[in-house]
Formats: sequence, structure tokens, C-alpha cells
Amino acid sequence: MRKILATILKEWTLTRRDVAGIMLLFLMPSMLIIVMAMIQDAPFKDYQELKFDLLVADHDNGKLARIITKGLKEGKSFNVIDSVDGAPLTEKQLKTLLEDGTYKVGIVIPKGATAEMVNAANIVANNISKKIGLGTLPSREVRDGKHIRMYFDPVSKPTFRMSVTFALDKYITLSSSSMLVDRLDKMGSSAGDTSTLPKQDFEQLFKGIGIKETSLSEEVKHSKYMNSVQHNVPAWAIFGMFFIVIPICSHLIREREEGSALRILLIPNARRSVALGKICFYTIICTLQFVAMFCVGLWVLPMLDLPSLYLGVNAFLLIPMAVSIAFAATSYGYFIGTVFKTSNQAMPFGAISVVILSALGGIWVPIDVLSPMLQNVAKVSPLFWALDGINNITLRNGSFNDVAVNIGVLLAFSTVLWVISTWKNKNRYHSM
Amino acid sequence: MSLAIEIQKLVKQYPAAPEPALNELSYSVREYTITGLLGPNGAGKTTCISVICGLIAPDSGSVTVLGEDVTSDIQSIRKRIGVVPQRIALFPNLTARENFSYIGRLYGISESDIKDRSQQLLVRLGLEKHADKRVRRYSGGMKRRANIIASLLHAPQLLILDEPTAGVDVQSRALILEFLKDYHSQGHTILYTSHLLEEAERLCEEVVIVDEGKHIVSGSPKELIAQNASCNNLEDVFLHYTGHTVRD
Repeated sequence: MRKILATILKEWTLTRRDVAGIMLLFLMPSMLIIVMAMIQDAPFKDYQELKFDLLVADHDNGKLARIITKGLKEGKSFNVIDSVDGAPLTEKQLKTLLEDGTYKVGIVIPKGATAEMVNAANIVANNISKKIGLGTLPSREVRDGKHIRMYFDPVSKPTFRMSVTFALDKYITLSSSSMLVDRLDKMGSSAGDTSTLPKQDFEQLFKGIGIKETSLSEEVKHSKYMNSVQHNVPAWAIFGMFFIVIPICSHLIREREEGSALRILLIPNARRSVALGKICFYTIICTLQFVAMFCVGLWVLPMLDLPSLYLGVNAFLLIPMAVSIAFAATSYGYFIGTVFKTSNQAMPFGAISVVILSALGGIWVPIDVLSPMLQNVAKVSPLFWALDGINNITLRNGSFNDVAVNIGVLLAFSTVLWVISTWKNKNRYHSM
Repeated sequence: MSLAIEIQKLVKQYPAAPEPALNELSYSVREYTITGLLGPNGAGKTTCISVICGLIAPDSGSVTVLGEDVTSDIQSIRKRIGVVPQRIALFPNLTARENFSYIGRLYGISESDIKDRSQQLLVRLGLEKHADKRVRRYSGGMKRRANIIASLLHAPQLLILDEPTAGVDVQSRALILEFLKDYHSQGHTILYTSHLLEEAERLCEEVVIVDEGKHIVSGSPKELIAQNASCNNLEDVFLHYTGHTVRD
């Protein structure tokens, strides 16, 4: 017992001498709890409880559009955006806003949608009229292809797309019913009650206008929406790449403690070359990690009855993207290994900070379900820019211009850390 | 004979220390000599060597090494000096040969020269049979010898050693000292620190005794012994000048 107590005392003495290390041991998990609780708050809520921006391009300007827009505005789920700079939103503007990932969903109510709905209501009213001997309303054949077009950012989750479709369907139904009652009233029918209508009449009524999910990029026939493979492969590949911070920082600290770092300092003009060599090596390792993870998504997951990973039409852009992510991950590891003195400080900080940055960056939970405040905070995470860049390539079929900002931010992040690490290394106290 | 190292009024104060590590220290090392820098613990020997090889910037004073000022062109000086630190400054998970190959490349030495020179030194310091073992598996004496080889790959004019024989067995120490004499006889200058005064007396042509960051006395061991009638050896001289008080 005495020996056990003596060991506990000795361990305590050693631990309390590394104040920064012990603080990080408590501080980092606390940070993790706060960040994870905030981030996972949204997924624990139903989509109905969350409010999303919804773009509406109204080319109809009729009753149907008014009912849909009013319903969506009055509902709790959507923040309807139907104008840009005071002018009504056009379909072209809507598509541009979705393509660059600013918004996740948009609907276009086509010109003549109300007229089509009125025509369908007239046909149904005329059918009823035949049975009870009222007059007839003007009608024509139902025209196919008149749909409310729904556009989604391909990155949006299937459950989100479904919830938008249901909401829209509800307002179309409401609008159709209201219009039919209007038509029957106009014919002088006392039967404003539509509950007695035969099923085929309702089908006729809803033939008038439908909902159609439309692809943003018409030239791409094989575009994919977000699924488990499209999210998990890039997300966890990035997460794994950033875990390179652990071997890098432990390696740097060990070299300082063992004395081999001193040898480098004694060799003329070697320090910078050695640091660059390390960065290049770990960047290559991280890039290979990325390639390996994507190979799993392309060939291993389909063997397990999962969808194959879709790389987008500009898959070659994944190479500069992967190298930028690898460089950012390596620089982050180099930064931690340089700034922190001991393994006790560097390890918990390195590991937990990567988990926090990954949570903020959308690895665990899609960014669009987070609060606006957290969505802004997410932009400090390099993993956000990494995942967003890959989604731009694979799901949004983006060009180089679409990922240039992501690559730029990752390179800027790496450069800043690299400069700080170099400065810190230069000013570190070195002695034999 | 010109000077290999000239130190003038060197001052270094560490932030948390009550006293300066170097307190207007001045001494010089003549070319082609073996000079021992001696002093009790905390005398400032390692700080002084750290300043000479540009690891630490002095607060004031000047240091000239092989005719060049350390504050103006340390990289050029590092090409011409070899430093053997007290710590084993090698990559423990690499073999000795891999270590020398890497270090040689960092010095810009050609592959063939690295191979020839490291082989020559491995043989001379008795490590040729163990050259392909990882340094981690070496004994203390073997690590010390490998540490010396790594500092000599670029054939420096001036070799600085910080306690090169600390913690090694008698055989290894004898081999190291024999090697240093041999290296010196080839026309090289050596500055080394040690707590082993008998070793310094045997090896050094000149010694500089420092204490509390100051120069106390310097000269050849024989001269210093002769100057003090009560002293029979260098250890007596050392105790005469630095006292018997145990240092922290």
C-alpha cells in the first residue's frame, strides 16, 4: 500500500510540474463537450423544428404561387427568399445561388401554373356538374409538363429533401382544394364540400400541377445527391488525414528530447531544409491516405452493397484539393509539435482539437443543420474548407474556380502555421 | 600561431537565473592546439560552447572563430567546425551508417565521400562491426563514439567537444582520447570540456579554468602546476583556483 501511495505521489509531483499539460487535459475535453453538445443539438431536433432558407422564383404570379409562398412564409420551417436586391428572384439567379452552395433548396413556380390548376379544377367541376345538372366552365385538355420545379444543392441530405417536398405538396393540395371549392361555388353548387368527390376526380385535379425534382447541372446526367458513401468517404478521409498531427508532433518532440534536433541545428543551413523535407514527406503520406480512402469508396464499399463513390465530372481536381488538405494537416501537426514543449501538452491538444475542428467542419453533422452562429464559426475550421471543396468537386460538379477559394484558404491556413512554427523554432532556446 | 577562437568580454544572462552564466569571459584558443575548457558545475562551459557554435546569442561581447565573427556569419563558421554535444545528437532508430549518410548529405558531402569518410572513422573508433545496428541498441560508449564520428564527417578544422568521455567505460575513454590525439596530430584544433582533470592533464596542451562565468587562469598544465608550489597535478591547481565548495 505504501508503495502504491508513494507511486501516486510521485506521479502527481511529475504531473503538476507540467501545468500547461494538466490544464490541457481538463480544458480540451471541456471544450469538446461544449462544441459537440452545440453541434449535435440540431440533429437531435426534428427537421420540422429547424428553419431553413428557401429560394422561391415566382414566374406564375397567380393564386397558386400566392398560396404556396404565403404558406411557406407562415410555416415555421422556412425562411422564404423571393427577391434579390428588391427585384423578384429569377430561375437563373436561383440556380446560381444553389450552385455556389450559398443556399440548399429552391423552388420555381412556372408561368401559367395557376392557369393550369384552374383548368384542372374546371374539368373536375364540369364532371360534377354533369352528374347534378349545373352549367359548365371553360376547360381544355390538361397539358403535361407543368411542374413546380425543385432544385436542391446536391450536398443536402435525403431527409431534408423529403421534408421540403412534403411541405410543398401540402400547399399544392391546399391550393387545389381551395380552387375547386371556388369553381363549384361559381357554378352555384351548394356542395362546397369536396369530401364526397370520387377518387378519379381528385387525381384529375392534381394532374394540373405537380412537383418535379430537377438537377442543377443539366449537362451532367450522372450527378449524385448526398448519400452515406458520398458523405462518409471524404469526411472520414479528411479526419484521418488530420490525425497525422499525432505522429508529427510526437516525432518532433521526441527529436528535441532525444537530441537529434540539436544535430540539425549544428549543421549549416540545414534547419529550413529539414523542416521542408518533413512537411513534404508527411504531405505525401497524407495524400496517399486520401487516395487509399477514396479507393475504398470506389471499389470496396460497392462490394458491401453500398453505393459507389461518385467523383464528379472534374475528378482530376481532387488531386490539388487532396494535396492542399494534406499540406494543411501536416502544417497543423508541425505547428503543434513546435509550439508545445512536452508530449503531455501536445497529444491531448492535438487529438482533441482535431475532433473539435472536425465537428465544426461538418464531418460529424452536416453544416446546414447548425445554427447560423455555428455555421459562421465552422469557417475557422480547415476541415470545413476541405469537405466543402470535395463536395464542390464530387457533388456539385464544380470547376477549378469553384474550389479555388477552398484551396486558397487551406494554403493560407498552412502558410500562417508554417510561419508561426518557423518563428517559434528560430526563437526557441537551444543549448547543448 | 594565429587564434582559432577569440572570446572578448562575453556576457550571457539567462532570464530566470540570479547570476549571469557568462560574466565578461575572455580567453583564446590557439590554432593547432588541444585546449581544455575546465570549470566546476555551472561555471559556464556549456553556455560558452553554445555561444561559439551559434546556438545562443550573447548579451554582449564578441566571439571570433577561425577569423569570423559568430554573430555575422555563423553558417560559414559551422561549415568549418565540428561540435560534439554532451547529449547523443543522433537518430536512435537509424543505424550508425544511416545516421552518417543523412548527416553527411545535410552537410552537402558527396555520397562517395560520405561512404569513405564514415567507413574510415567507423574503423578508427571501433564501430565498423556495429555500423548497421540501430544506435538505440548501442552501449553508452558506442553512442559517444558514434556521436564523435557524426561531427567529423565534414572534416572540420576545429573540433569542439563537450564532455566527450562522460559516462563511458575505461576502454572507450582510452580509444576516444587516443583518437583525439591522433586527430590533433593531423593539424586540427580541439577545444574540449571535461570534469576529468587527469584526462585533461594528459591530453591538453593548454587549459582554461573558468568559474562563475569568468576566466580564472589559463596556460599549459605543466606551467600551471609549476606556478603553484603546493600543487602536484592539474586537479590540485583546479581546486586551488576554484575552491573546495560544492557547486549546485
